[in-house]
Amino acid sequence: MNNIKVFWNRYGLLVVAVLLLLTPQFTSQYEFYVVQRGVQNAMLVLGLVMLIGYTGLMTLGSAALLATGAYTYGILMLRLGCSPLIGTIGAVLFTTVVGTLLGIPAFRLSGPFLVVTTVGFGEIVRILILNWEPLTRGPYGLSGFRPVMPTTRGVYYLMVVVLILLAIVTERIGRSRLGLAMKAVKEDEVAAEVMGVNVRRVKLVSNALTAALAGLSGVFLASLTGYLNPDSFTSNESTSYLLMVVMGGMSNVVGSIISSLFLTVLPEVLRFLAESRLLVYSLILLVYLRLYHVRGSSKVRAKSAGSRGRS
Amino acid sequence: MGIDKNGNIVLKTDSLTKRFGGLVAVNNLSFEVHEGQICALIGPNGSGKTTVLNLITGIYPIDGGRIDFLGEQINGLPSHAICWRGIARTFQNIRILGSQTVFDNALLGKGYGNGGAGVFQIMFDTAKHRQERAAFAEEVDEVLKFVGLEDVRNELARNLPYGRQRILEIARALVTKPKLLLLDEPAAGLNSAEIYTLMELIKKINETGISVFVIEHRMELVGELADWVFVLNYGSKIAEGTFDEIRENPAVIEAYLGKGRD
Repeated sequence: MNNIKVFWNRYGLLVVAVLLLLTPQFTSQYEFYVVQRGVQNAMLVLGLVMLIGYTGLMTLGSAALLATGAYTYGILMLRLGCSPLIGTIGAVLFTTVVGTLLGIPAFRLSGPFLVVTTVGFGEIVRILILNWEPLTRGPYGLSGFRPVMPTTRGVYYLMVVVLILLAIVTERIGRSRLGLAMKAVKEDEVAAEVMGVNVRRVKLVSNALTAALAGLSGVFLASLTGYLNPDSFTSNESTSYLLMVVMGGMSNVVGSIISSLFLTVLPEVLRFLAESRLLVYSLILLVYLRLYHVRGSSKVRAKSAGSRGRS
Repeated sequence: MGIDKNGNIVLKTDSLTKRFGGLVAVNNLSFEVHEGQICALIGPNGSGKTTVLNLITGIYPIDGGRIDFLGEQINGLPSHAICWRGIARTFQNIRILGSQTVFDNALLGKGYGNGGAGVFQIMFDTAKHRQERAAFAEEVDEVLKFVGLEDVRNELARNLPYGRQRILEIARALVTKPKLLLLDEPAAGLNSAEIYTLMELIKKINETGISVFVIEHRMELVGELADWVFVLNYGSKIAEGTFDEIRENPAVIEAYLGKGRD
């Protein structure tokens, strides 16, 4: 049992990577699309691992940042005729700026107040997109831009490679002095501050990284669907992202990727249940979280933390 | 007042005042800590001792007066900046990160934001970041060895016995490389063997040239360690002097025991 855990901690990411790279070989077109969305979601959730898992800042505005990334990409290409690469860079940078502009005032708050503020931010962005018709085409939706790669498979393989690289970086940040500072902010802000951690800066850095990942995830979302509509970025979406990071074990990188994939695929698998689908979906989550995640899968993390200092 | 002024002034407060609503928690408090000294701040419960530490470390803003550290005004600076200048502290109720290892807890004393490897260097694990990490690890290990925690380096902090958690908090403070160490009731909850270890450690720290400012209730510890003692009552300084002088001071005896009936 213990060997499995050691193996998983060391090679879990590799296993996930191999499985993801093989997926296109044995899935139908529709199944493939669902997996693609899972990978795209996982990218955003990696950001939440840093913000919610490491730094402990509970926010519910991820869908808005996702929308910012996706729309910026689309608009840059359609209105300014940028290339996919420039579009991607522009979208990631712009989303980071927007996220930071939100973060500067919002991180003066904490706990439920921060949650409510970020929900409000999410709604503002969605309504802005809905009503700024000349730029976003509002309820008609935005389409006609090119994806980041010419083929669907190309987009997918690029996405998987980027995801794995980001997972490695996220894990690395978690083990660094920055990650330690983040975890200190989560556990005891005052103690961290008094020990020379610039708490405000840690929060903003963590938030900027999260926003960048959300922006990138948005670029891939735009590339996958080829069509953007404000309805895809409601606070419901933010809630499911929160669910993905919680179920993944809050600060567990591989766990978060798996839970993102699982929670993206599960509703589709349950489609045969028709109207009772959401009921069963919720029940499965409830039972799973109750049985297995009483304290999150951080139990596993806590054990592996012991071996960390030796590296 | 006959302070044995052997050494420069490290910390100086001038008419320090703090109010919580109508309550004056610290009232016109002026005192000096000299280089290389161990100073103790004593006083009955609720006399404002911890508030003084919270003011010095910038956790509360002050309402009046000023605080100077090594000749420069520090009140108004954020807490992390005060730490970078060389003031470290521990807390009355231990505030270590239970879910992190002893090593990581101590490493936290290196802070974040005061130069060093930035986000991108960490992301790409550059040579500079690797060098920095190795150098920090060495420093932290040295401190852990100095305080005697090297055997539990990779344990989770919450698994340590209470006494060693207190030592860990001191280790974390030492990693910040302080010139002044503020200890808030370091002996609270310790047994006499642990208190002895603690006293030896405080002396050892002081011998390395770090000035120590300690809040303490245990008079045997104050008597053994302190070069100079301040007594606080209702937020005001009512006496200062060597421990022997303080013991005989009628105002101090009254503050602790109440006024006798004539």
